[in-house]
Amino acid sequence: MSDYKTLRFADVNLGDKLPALEIPITAALVVGGALATRDYEPVHHDKSAAQAAGLPDVFMNILTSQGLMTRFATDWSGPEAVVKSLDIKLGAPNLPGMVMTVTGEVTALDKSNGVVDVAVQGENNIWGMHMQGTVQLALPEAG
Amino acid sequence: MVANIKDKAVIAGVANTKFSKDSGVSELSLAAQAIKGACDDAGIHPSEIDGMATFTMDTNDEIEVARALGCGGLTFWGRSHYGGGAATGSLHQAVMAVSTGMAECVAVFRALNGRSGHRFSSGVSGAITTADAIHWGWYMPYGLLTPASWVAMFTQRWMKLTGISKDAFYEVAHATREYAVNNPNAAFYGRSFDRAEYDAARKIADPLQLFDCCQETDGGSAIIVTTPERARDMKKPGVAVRGIAQASAPDQEQMTSFYREEFAAIPEMEIAAKNVYEMSGLTPDDVDAAVIYDAFSPIVLWQIEAWNFCGFGESGDFVLDGALRPGGRLPCNTHGGQLSEAYIHGVNGIVEATRLVRGESLNQPKKNIEHALVTSGVGIPTGGAILGKLD
Amino acid sequence: MTPEEQKAFEDKIYAFKGRKVCEATPAKDPVNATMIRHWAEAMGDTNPAYTNTEWAEKSARGKTIAPPAMLYVWNQQGITAASERASNAQSELVQLFNDYGFTGVLGTNVKQEYFKEAAPGDQVFMEMVIDNISERKNTARGAGYFHETVATFSNQSGEKLGTQSFRVLKFIPQDQPAAAAADDARLEVPTRIPSPRGHDNGWWWEAVDKGKVMIQRCSNCQTLRHPPRPMCGECQSMEWDSVESKLDGEVLSHTELHHPKIPGYQYPLVCAVIKLGEGTNIVSNVVGCEPSDVHIGMRVKGKVEQVDEKNMLPQFYPA
Repeated sequence: MSDYKTLRFADVNLGDKLPALEIPITAALVVGGALATRDYEPVHHDKSAAQAAGLPDVFMNILTSQGLMTRFATDWSGPEAVVKSLDIKLGAPNLPGMVMTVTGEVTALDKSNGVVDVAVQGENNIWGMHMQGTVQLALPEAG
Repeated sequence: MVANIKDKAVIAGVANTKFSKDSGVSELSLAAQAIKGACDDAGIHPSEIDGMATFTMDTNDEIEVARALGCGGLTFWGRSHYGGGAATGSLHQAVMAVSTGMAECVAVFRALNGRSGHRFSSGVSGAITTADAIHWGWYMPYGLLTPASWVAMFTQRWMKLTGISKDAFYEVAHATREYAVNNPNAAFYGRSFDRAEYDAARKIADPLQLFDCCQETDGGSAIIVTTPERARDMKKPGVAVRGIAQASAPDQEQMTSFYREEFAAIPEMEIAAKNVYEMSGLTPDDVDAAVIYDAFSPIVLWQIEAWNFCGFGESGDFVLDGALRPGGRLPCNTHGGQLSEAYIHGVNGIVEATRLVRGESLNQPKKNIEHALVTSGVGIPTGGAILGKLD
Repeated sequence: MTPEEQKAFEDKIYAFKGRKVCEATPAKDPVNATMIRHWAEAMGDTNPAYTNTEWAEKSARGKTIAPPAMLYVWNQQGITAASERASNAQSELVQLFNDYGFTGVLGTNVKQEYFKEAAPGDQVFMEMVIDNISERKNTARGAGYFHETVATFSNQSGEKLGTQSFRVLKFIPQDQPAAAAADDARLEVPTRIPSPRGHDNGWWWEAVDKGKVMIQRCSNCQTLRHPPRPMCGECQSMEWDSVESKLDGEVLSHTELHHPKIPGYQYPLVCAVIKLGEGTNIVSNVVGCEPSDVHIGMRVKGKVEQVDEKNMLPQFYPA
């Protein structure tokens, strides 16, 4: 199937930038992401619980941030890439009304196993850094 | 019928500063540089300036500009309102002052740090409570905050009424860019784009995409306007103002005239066109080139219709025939326009229109241009002028 | 807490190091296409390896897989977590922290490594241990301890699917009113920019606050006008009253706003000029449908809604 292209290891260079992804943070994404990851902690779907925890509105759960970070990486690499690891440091919360811009750059290439390291950061327009970390992807060899 | 001041005032000098995204200097500095440049072009000393005209939006007080330049005293100053609607509006002020004898040598200027300072794309805000802000209050809460979004609303309806497609927008944007490619002072000097890049560019407000929108620029432009007698003694051949007009139309709002019977229209520009043709005694056939206000690509099309170069809904075919190109019927925005040279609120357009008539335009140097049209912004109270060679 | 008390507390918490939170426990459901699709939709992830069977069968893998980032999801207890949460080493540790005032909780790092992709039909087992508890740290949030759990995931054949280490800060929330107040201001969520209110328009927005959209009417010649102005353009009367709009409308033009995205506004966002049944035009948003479905001539019905913390606004839906 040629509809979905996957990058080959040889296609990728150190310093390659991934296409930026702008994600509007909506209540639907926060609550829907929490439920899709079976996370019923009240702070992710109940505004009064979030306010009791000191935040003005429901905020994104970690499992959604993980999902968005891998999505960002595989949107770029294509579907034949195999995600090997995901390492995230969490920062400011994502709340409805914000917009998170995710950017990334290739920071390491391992010829021996075809694994590329992509440094990713997701910054929201109000409070700044929401997440930063590394996704490792194994890319197919040429051909 | 408006008063006839045909050929009573003459453009004797024009100049732009360097255009950039970060001038590193004050707007006052840009104004002074632009006016000094225009004085040099005319071969006069700034002390000969006795009048000034600019935009209400300009931050530079005339007296500060005068002190910076060493102008001495002034006998006239006047400002024109409504953003880019003031482009030929400020020229209009100068022409009236000179033709009535209120001043003999008026500097028209506009200088802004439009990129490194306040940016138009940042939108209007509710932080102030002037009548102006109350007007924006009908739109801000819904997210209709930027010039692109207001123009998009007109454009969507106009496309539906006329059936004109983005092919025509592309032609406007691309023809303009190709001129900028040859202009070393243009932001997009040497940088072309193709249809695939145009289509793939960032969406701004449907149907407008990135290349349909002008830039934001730091820079200044200035024009020296004087009497025919004095102009004849100056360095460069004079460029006479054959006809000039300002106009607003019934139910006019600033960028949001959404309450008219048919709002996908610019009746104010039609009035300006009628009055300019009447004053100058000219017709569209007499106009050899144009600088048409291009904050956004579709607004060039509307104005081509308003100035009667073709009928309503025919501007798409008009431009797709290559009319705006170097050898076309109406070479247009030959400096690269505001889309691709610089956004100086249309005053850089008056500079280019002057150069067209003088035979100094980079992109039309050898062509004899008897008359060039220059227009102000649309969607607002606006205006236009036709310039021609001083006899 | 005196140094002695702190020592006693730390002895208690460090005793949890290495304790098992749970033995290898099977998830309630095997890996399945339904939960995968639900996840992919929520994340906006269109990777065909997860949801496109036809593509996946022809791919190198020969089948669809679960998104790797779902690894921990399979063993989540879901909505019953609160009632079913059995006492375990982790919950005991959390309780201990809470009892000593370390009630704040903040996930700071999570690292997952994947060894084998899980596919529909696989059964995921998770075992978890408390791996490490830091010394006492003074953080920006307050004094606290980082503790790390390590989970190991395997399948029905005993093959290791991956691991996860999750670092959490348990801290004493800072009790500094001034700082807290400053924080609150910083944490204020942006809202839409409201209209300023003056003599000529204040009454109109006050009516919106009460759920009504009014149209100004000349008391002399009965001409309707919007936006409100102090004088009738038809007869120059300054006397006016108003009528309430039924908010039946037709879209005259519209635009979807893409860039820049203004804080406080929810995107996608469509603005439209709407001709009301009463005859005047109004600018508003069209909501309740895909932006691409909005078209000139579309019939819409409006209602006044609370759109955010600060603003009541008329919003129009497909009629």
